[in-house]
Amino acid sequence: MADREDVAPAHPLPSAGSRLATPAFRAVLVAAVALVAVTGRGQQPAMPVAKPWDAVLICSFNIQVFGEAKMAKREVVEVLARVARKFDIVAIQEVRAKSDEVVPSFVRAVNADGSQYHYVIGPREGRTVSKEQYTFVYDTRRIEVDASSLGVVPNPSNALHRPPMHVRFRTRIQPAEMAFTFWLVDIHTDPDEVPSELQALSTVFQQMQALRPDEDDVIVLGDLNAGPPEFTAFKRIPGIGWAVSGTTTNTRRSKTYDNLIFSQPQTSEYLGTWGVFDLQNAFGLPLEKALEVSDHNPVWAAFYPAEHRGQSAGFMAAQPATVR
Amino acid sequence: MTADQPDEMASLAARLESKDADDRTAAAEKLAQAGEAAAPAAIPLVRACGDADERVREWAVAALEELGPPPDDVIATLATLATGSVPLAAYWAVTLLGRAGQAAAGTAGVLADCLASGDAAVAQRAAWALGKLGPAAAVAREQLRAAAQSADPRLARLAVEALAASGGA
Repeated sequence: MADREDVAPAHPLPSAGSRLATPAFRAVLVAAVALVAVTGRGQQPAMPVAKPWDAVLICSFNIQVFGEAKMAKREVVEVLARVARKFDIVAIQEVRAKSDEVVPSFVRAVNADGSQYHYVIGPREGRTVSKEQYTFVYDTRRIEVDASSLGVVPNPSNALHRPPMHVRFRTRIQPAEMAFTFWLVDIHTDPDEVPSELQALSTVFQQMQALRPDEDDVIVLGDLNAGPPEFTAFKRIPGIGWAVSGTTTNTRRSKTYDNLIFSQPQTSEYLGTWGVFDLQNAFGLPLEKALEVSDHNPVWAAFYPAEHRGQSAGFMAAQPATVR
Repeated sequence: MTADQPDEMASLAARLESKDADDRTAAAEKLAQAGEAAAPAAIPLVRACGDADERVREWAVAALEELGPPPDDVIATLATLATGSVPLAAYWAVTLLGRAGQAAAGTAGVLADCLASGDAAVAQRAAWALGKLGPAAAVAREQLRAAAQSADPRLARLAVEALAASGGA
């Protein structure tokens, strides 16, 4: 399988408010974009060539029915592993297996080339006997986890079919005292109850913002089963923005389901660079083969790896002593 | 070629009855990859939720998540499956009836019975589905009012919403 690794021009964050990047920060941002952008291909954003020193690449990937049957397909696992190696963190949805061995086995496949990825995984969730798990697979050379931060969002009114998993990360690319720290909140919504789930998720977002006084960066990412026009509840949050817009995210290129949502004023580390990693284009796969990998393409966004203390009053995200 | 041709859908649906679990798994996986084109296989997929093999069940669920509203001509069969003994199959039958909306108006009574299911997910989904039926859910108001008093907050909320949709809040 060919790995073309094309890259399209950077895309701006769709704005529900104004961007807050300062001129100096924009200069760094442009440098980062220049580092990763090699060739444009139409309007379809693709993917950085290599992990840059001045950007952390965060990905969301719904790996449809990620279980033993999928792991038994060597070619599929190889594609999945190559995808994972492109990113610093991959937030995965749809781990579906009674076995606990699926994700460890996958991480071993990722690390087969000498990479040093690790993972954290949540409990099985869902209202029926068909359960799913969230997992974050991350590059330990560039990312570390606050081990005390792993958890599942409380769901007292049972508004969410699969309550999101939250984990707090810190980049290792920068010195600890200035490294970018952030919450990731992994979600796979119920396609039959999208409006009410997005309403609940917008509340979760705000609860996560308030969870720790020393952390204001919250990134909700996953398979939302909805695109930006349906983000009504989120749009009520001042400054909210999202990475993916104006393109499709499923493998059939017909729907926009996957995204990364965050506050623009708070998460000013966002570099304005995002993409949909089109499995067909990236690996030269026909649709049928790409669908064996997943019915979703990975989506990603780039963030500056140091805390940006520019214009957010009361900004106090970095508390490295609490991150292990 | 992807598995979205009618003949191939029928073939895949038939393979869900195979005696070979690997073959059933492969068929369910192909149907899950077909998206909305798998709608003609709705009934076999719901039945596959009761398969003995976990892999078949999981791929069947994945297919059902993506296939959208069912064809009108399978609604009566879905109503039968909604009251079946396999909770996961009942859950998906009820879900598809809800997706059918007005086309499933004649199943409001069945869905009302499902409100009393011993499986919480089925009962909750039945309330959701009745909400999708709109005024046709009026025949279920008595059961919906009872559900609206449930100690299960999700069931209660969905029942209230269904009552409102039926015009009888």
